[in-house]
Amino acid sequence: MVVSIKDSVKLAGISVICFCAVFVCTFFINYCVDAAAVADSVTQEMSALYQGQLATAKFSCALSGGCLSLIAFVMLVFYIKLYIDGHGRQLGILKAMGYKNGEIALKFWVFGFGVLIGSALGCGAGYAAMPMIYSQMTVEGLTIPVKFHFWLPIAMIALPTLVFSALSCGYARFALGRDVGSMLKGEIKKSKALSDKKLSEQNKASKTEKPRAFLLDMGIKTLSSKKMLVFFIAFASFCFSAMVQMGGSMYDLNAAAMGPIILAIGLVLAVTVMMIAMTAVFNSNTKNLAIMKAFGYSARECAVTIFTGYIPFAFIGFGVGTAYQYAILRVMIDLFFKEYSLIFDFDVAIFFITLAAFTVFYAAVMLFYFLKIKQISIKAVMAEN
Amino acid sequence: MIKAQNVYKSFNGGRIKVLNGVSLEIARGDFAVILGASGSGKSTLMSVLSGLERADSGTVCFDGMEISGFNDKQLTEFRRKYTGFIFQQYYLLSHLSVENNVRLGADLAGNKDFREIIKAVGLEEKCKRKPSELSGGEQQRVCIARALAKKPQALFLDEPTGALDEQTGRDVLDYIVKLKREQGFTMIMVTHNENIAQMADTVIRINSGRIEEVIKNTSPKTAYEIGW
Ligand SMILES: Nc1ncnc2c1ncn2[C@@H]1O[C@H](COP(=O)(O)OP(=O)(O)O)[C@@H](O)[C@H]1O
Ligand SMILES: [Mg+2]
Repeated sequence: MVVSIKDSVKLAGISVICFCAVFVCTFFINYCVDAAAVADSVTQEMSALYQGQLATAKFSCALSGGCLSLIAFVMLVFYIKLYIDGHGRQLGILKAMGYKNGEIALKFWVFGFGVLIGSALGCGAGYAAMPMIYSQMTVEGLTIPVKFHFWLPIAMIALPTLVFSALSCGYARFALGRDVGSMLKGEIKKSKALSDKKLSEQNKASKTEKPRAFLLDMGIKTLSSKKMLVFFIAFASFCFSAMVQMGGSMYDLNAAAMGPIILAIGLVLAVTVMMIAMTAVFNSNTKNLAIMKAFGYSARECAVTIFTGYIPFAFIGFGVGTAYQYAILRVMIDLFFKEYSLIFDFDVAIFFITLAAFTVFYAAVMLFYFLKIKQISIKAVMAEN
Repeated sequence: MIKAQNVYKSFNGGRIKVLNGVSLEIARGDFAVILGASGSGKSTLMSVLSGLERADSGTVCFDGMEISGFNDKQLTEFRRKYTGFIFQQYYLLSHLSVENNVRLGADLAGNKDFREIIKAVGLEEKCKRKPSELSGGEQQRVCIARALAKKPQALFLDEPTGALDEQTGRDVLDYIVKLKREQGFTMIMVTHNENIAQMADTVIRINSGRIEEVIKNTSPKTAYEIGW
């Protein structure tokens, strides 16, 4: 009633991530189970390859499943927070009427719906891709038959859906614990950092302000009032950097089959997270943008004001992603490929290719939103409430 | 029914003092108007009287319950049982139909006859529409229905006609007063409009967070008799 299915459909990003995670995990877990079932017929000379294939499957599963679930979790929390901030007044009136926080929070189970769709499709795709994967991951002399395990689709679909629905409710319950008055007034929860002292300083500053400084001032305010978004832009850059470089490194690691999959997942993921983050930046500023346009600022000036501040954070995210993917590959290799003494070094070429691709990508996203700003209808924005 | 004694309320850690020792009493079944200039603290007073916010000091009693001492959970329970709200901004849930918006209120009281109240505000033909497909006056009527569907003992209104033109505003007020006569709830309305105050039984004038005067009105006017 409070949250509609439509709202959860907007969570397409999470669906995509769940799709990727479940897709990869479905066929690899199935593979591991089927391979384990024929372990008895593995001979001495097959053993090395057999263990290697099994390690690859486990490695990919842990990597994509673990990483992606974490990303999906962060995105979900982010989205719910944005939702509650954006619907503060509507949720506030429910609280005013006497709905308990818990009652309202329970309606947020709907956010698990996007997870359900993503997981279901991912599971289906996983089964569809299974014969192909089995034919790639053969062990000479050993037949690993594809078997259906009824618990697998249940675990792959029901588990994430339930966990994420519960998480949604739990986080919503936490985020709703604010006083009604401020929610009705449409105040976004202020962090303690934006204290009274700062506010009065800002007021003092604004009195002596030159007119030219308005844009800069607004840019800074946008950044500091939306710390969550700053984090997310950085996070999207992080995903791009980590996943794309990881995909590239897979070729070096002779896990070639996994290379394109991780690369594709990385790209899809980076684009999704970046789009969600940018859309959030854009949406939470539409009113400001409309007013700026009404005052006669050009779309270019608006775009620069709103988006420029995020650039340094995007590149910080990229840097952290680079370090992260290197570290996690190291750890995973030590964990799953101990016996193989794989050589794995930091790949400078891949780093620069990824960096270039990222710069182009970021510029393209900015351009897209620049065009969107051009299209903002001042009247439509102002008419809303 | 509502009794406030020496209520103080400030914001931003005491720097913005809004209510400075307000004491008042509102009888059951009364139509009370809190009248004052913009920024005089009317909305804040209403929030404190209705259990939306807690006072810094002083007591607020509702039907003998000291709600100023309630915690958040108790206040929620209190609002759920006893109060209804109508605000200048409608706060309707945009993705729900008129009918379902009203049900949000009705469900809290286990009220199955919510269609009656939609009828009473003249919206039965439009009950499947979304709020965005209604005029301002119609949206405010949905709010009336939503608030009354929950069968409140006290209805709190904050500038309910503030966003409406004269004719629509009169109609909305007329609906409210008619329903009050039928159902007998207590009504506390905030307004800066002197003329609207002529409709009330009791006018509480507030200025800079203090009660200036309380006037009993022996012959309240109807929505169509007042000036605007
Ligand atoms: N949450 C708040 N934080 C800070 N100041 C507030 C807050 N709510 C109200 N005020 C201040 O309290 C004063 C009275 O507000 P309000 O009660 O809304 O007045 P009215 O409804 O009479 O116009 C105003 O000066 C307003 O700026
Ligand atoms: Mg007010």
